Amino acid sequence: MTTVTPGDPTTRTGSRRVQRTGICRTGGGRRRRRQRWLLALSALALVASACASVETGATQVSGGDDDDADAGPPQYGGKMVYGLEAETTNGWCLPEGQLAISGIQVARTIYDTLTVPNGDGEFVPFLAESVTPDPDYTVWTIRLRPGIRFHDGSPLTAEVVKNNLDAYRGQYPGRTSLLFQFVLADIDTVSVVDELTLQITTKRPWPSLPSFLWSSGRLGIVAQAQLDDPETCASNLIGTGPFKLEEWKVNDHLTVVRNEDYWRTDAEGRQLPYLDEIEFRPVIEQQQRINGLKSGELDAFHTSTPLTIDEMRALDEAEQVNLAESADFAEVSFLMTNATKPPFDNQTARSAIAHALQIELANEIQSKGIAEIANGPFAPGSIGYLEDTGMPRGDMEKARELVRQYEEETGEPLRFTITATPEPDTLRSVELAAQMFEDAGMDVSIATLDQSSLISEAIGKNFELMAFRNFPSLDPDNNYVWWYGEGNPVNFSGYDDPDVNRLLDEGRVTADPERRREIYQELNRVLAERGYYLWSTWTRWAVPMDPDFHGVVGARPPDGSPDFTGLALGHDMAYMWKEQ
Amino acid sequence: MTLARELGKRFLSLAVVLFLVTLFTALLISMVPGDPVDTLVPLAESEEADALKAQVREDLNLDEPLHVRYASWLRDFVFGDERGEHFGDYFRVSGRDPVSNRLAEALPVSLQLMVYSQVLALVVAIPLGVLTAYRAGSLFDKVTNTGAFALMAVPTFVLGLALAYYIGVWLNWVPPSGYVPFGEDPVEHVRRMVLPSLTLAAGQIAVYMRLLRSDMVATLQEDFIQMARSKGISDQRVLWRHALRPSSLTLLTVAGMNVGTLIGGAVVVEVIFSIPGMGTAISQAIFERQYVALQSFVAVLAILYVVVNFAVDILYAVVDPRIRHARARN
Repeated sequence: MTTVTPGDPTTRTGSRRVQRTGICRTGGGRRRRRQRWLLALSALALVASACASVETGATQVSGGDDDDADAGPPQYGGKMVYGLEAETTNGWCLPEGQLAISGIQVARTIYDTLTVPNGDGEFVPFLAESVTPDPDYTVWTIRLRPGIRFHDGSPLTAEVVKNNLDAYRGQYPGRTSLLFQFVLADIDTVSVVDELTLQITTKRPWPSLPSFLWSSGRLGIVAQAQLDDPETCASNLIGTGPFKLEEWKVNDHLTVVRNEDYWRTDAEGRQLPYLDEIEFRPVIEQQQRINGLKSGELDAFHTSTPLTIDEMRALDEAEQVNLAESADFAEVSFLMTNATKPPFDNQTARSAIAHALQIELANEIQSKGIAEIANGPFAPGSIGYLEDTGMPRGDMEKARELVRQYEEETGEPLRFTITATPEPDTLRSVELAAQMFEDAGMDVSIATLDQSSLISEAIGKNFELMAFRNFPSLDPDNNYVWWYGEGNPVNFSGYDDPDVNRLLDEGRVTADPERRREIYQELNRVLAERGYYLWSTWTRWAVPMDPDFHGVVGARPPDGSPDFTGLALGHDMAYMWKEQ
Repeated sequence: MTLARELGKRFLSLAVVLFLVTLFTALLISMVPGDPVDTLVPLAESEEADALKAQVREDLNLDEPLHVRYASWLRDFVFGDERGEHFGDYFRVSGRDPVSNRLAEALPVSLQLMVYSQVLALVVAIPLGVLTAYRAGSLFDKVTNTGAFALMAVPTFVLGLALAYYIGVWLNWVPPSGYVPFGEDPVEHVRRMVLPSLTLAAGQIAVYMRLLRSDMVATLQEDFIQMARSKGISDQRVLWRHALRPSSLTLLTVAGMNVGTLIGGAVVVEVIFSIPGMGTAISQAIFERQYVALQSFVAVLAILYVVVNFAVDILYAVVDPRIRHARARN
C-alpha cells in the first residue's frame, strides 16, 4: 500500500497518514456584501455532486508496505495508460472550462497553476516565485519564475498571466468566462509591473486569494496562442506543465508526451517528469476500469467508489496492484434540503431527517465502513474541522417524535422526494436512507434524474431533498459562493441565513489564523444546527496502479513544504514513474 | 425505368422515415424536464450570464415553438446552413465544434462494430440453424435451442461485462476494452473488436438461428427437396445448395430490420467497451443536451437504416430467382 505522504518518493515511509490542519493566509479588512451574486458555479462541482452518496464510515488509511520506497529511486522512461471516469467533451479552454475530476487530472498534467496547496493546507507559490500581499491584503504582487516557456516555445511573462487572469474573470476580449468571473469577482484590477511581475488589487481584503489562484487545479495558465485562438481554444492545449499534448481523439484517448524543457526538478535535482508518455483513456464503466487494470490494458485509474477501493485493497495485499488512497482534504457527500419550500423550510422537518439517518449503520451496509463519516463540510485538516459539530445522528425515537411534532405543527404528513442520479452506488445509498426515514414515520419517494437534469433542477430549486457531493476541504472561503444567501442562485438549498452570511463575510476578510479558525468552526456548528445539509461522508479517492508504477503525489510544492495529500482533485503526474 | 421507380420509392421512404424519426426525437427532447440552457450555460443571474443565455436561446431557437425549431434544423440538415454545414454545431462557449467532425470519427467506428457483429451473427447462426433443422428434435437441436433462448434473455450490458471479465481478464485472451483503428494496427483492431462484436451479436445469433431453423424445417418437407434426395444428392449438398437459399428470405429481412436493434445495442456496448462510436456520441449528446447534434446523429442513423433495408430488398432478388424473374416480368 502506498499512502500519499509528504517527502521524496525514495525516502518516504508508508503506513498511516498524519492528518494535517489546513491553514491559509488571512488578513483583516472591510465587510462587503454583494447584491447580485455569484454564479451557478461549476458544472464541475455539479457534476461531482451528482455522484453523491450517503454512505459513510470511518476507515483509516491502511498501512502496510510502502511500495514506492521498496522500488528504489525513480526511473526515467515508459508509458502509462490511465483510465479516466469520464471524457471532458467541452475541452480545456480553461477560462471557460467546466472541469470535473477527469478534466482536472488532464489539466494538471498539461498546465501549471500560480500556486499549489501543501500538506499543511497552505497555498504556496508554484509557477509564481512569490505571491506577496500588502498589509491590508488588497494589493497582491506576483513575481513569476524566470525562464519558463510554454510548450509552443513562447515565454511565460506577466503579460500572459495578466491576460489569463483577465480571461478567467471575464475581462478579456474574445473569451467568455463561465464560472470564474463570479469566483474572482472580488478582483478589481490586474496590472503588469514588469516582464515577470504583476499586481492584483482586490475590492476588499482577501487574505485567501492564493487559494483562488489554484482553484482546485482549474486555474492553469494557458499560452497566449491558445487563449487567443477563437476556434480551437478547447482542443489546442498549450501549457507549461510536465507533459505536452500529442493527440486528443474525443471519447478515445488523449495522449501527452514528456516536456523536455519542464522547469521543475525533484528533491535530488533530477529533471521532471519521469515518464515519457501518458495516454488518458475515458472508461466510463467502472467495472471496465477494474478489468482494464487487471488485464494490463490500463496501468492506473482513479476511483472514489468504496467497494472498488475495497477490492483494490485486497489486490494490493496480494501485491497485484499498487494502491494510493487518501481521504485528506476531501469533498463531502450530503443530502441537501430545499429550504425554500415545504417540508424542509421547516426546522423540525430538517431535524427529523438528521435524527433518522443512522449513518454508521449505512456506512457498514453500503461500503464496509470504508467511507469516513462526515459531521460537517470540513474534513480533518481543514481549519473549520470539529470533532463534534453537534450534528444530530441516528436517534430513531427522537426522529419519530419530531415527525409527530411536524405533523402537529403543519397538519401535514412529513412527505418528500429524494432526487438523485441513477448511479448504482448513489441509488443504493439513497434507498437505504429512504428506508430509515420511513422507519421514522416519513413518507418518502425517490426520483432519479440524469446529471444534467439534476443540475437544472438544483438551479431551479425544483427538489425537496437531493443527493450531492461538493465542498472540497481546502480554504473554507472557497465555499463562499455556495453558502451565501441574499438570493444567491447557487446556494441551491436556498436559505438566506444571517448567521451564515455574517460568518462568511467575516471569514473572507479576516487574516488572523486563530480568528479564522474560530469563524469557520462556528460556521460548521451553525450549519449542523440549522440542518440545511445532512452530511454523510468525506469522499475517499484512490489510484490503483500496476505494481510497476509509483509516485502518486497530490501536489509537491517546490518550496520543500510538505506534500499536499489530497487526491480529490487529481494528482501531480510529474512524479509518476515506471520500473523498467 | 423499373430501377428509377424503385429508387424513387426508396427515396420517398427515406424521406418519410427521416421526417418521422427526427420529429419524434425533437418531440422527446422537448419533453425532457429542465431548461437546457441551464445545462449548456451553467450560470445564473449576472448581466453576462443572462446575455449569454439569451444568445444561446436565440442561436438554438429555444424560444420558438417546437415545429419552428424543428423546421429550422431540418432546413439546415437538408440544404446546409450559411457555412454549408449540414449537421450543425455542438454548443460550445469556446469556439465552434462542428458535429460533422464527430460524425466523421464516430460513424465509421460504429459501422465497423455493426458489420462485424452482423457478420459474426450470421456466420454462427446459419450453420447452427441448418444443423438444428437437419437434426430437428435431436439432443443437439434441443441444447442449441435452449442456449439460444438463454442468449436472448441475457441483457447486453450483463453479457458485455461478463465477457469482458471472463475472456478479457480471467482468460486474458483479448483486451477487455478500448479501440484501435484498423489502419493503425489491424491485428490489435480485431483483438479489441472481438468482445464488443460478440456482445452485440449474441442476441442476433439466437434470433437468426431460430428463424433459419424454422424456415429450413419447412423447406426440408418440400417436394423439390425430396426429389433431390431421391436423385441421390448428398444431404450436405441438399442442405447447403437446395434448402438454404429459399429458407433465408425471412432471415435476410430480419437481418436488415435488425440494424435498428444493432444501433440501440451499440449505445450500450460502446459505452461498456469504451469505443468512440455513434453510441457514445449519442449518449453524450443526450446528457449534455446537445439537441442539434442529437438530431443530426439520429437522422444519419435513420438514413443508414433505410439504405440497409434497401440493400436487403435488392439481395432478395439475388437470393431467390423467383423474385428476380417476377420483378423482370413487371
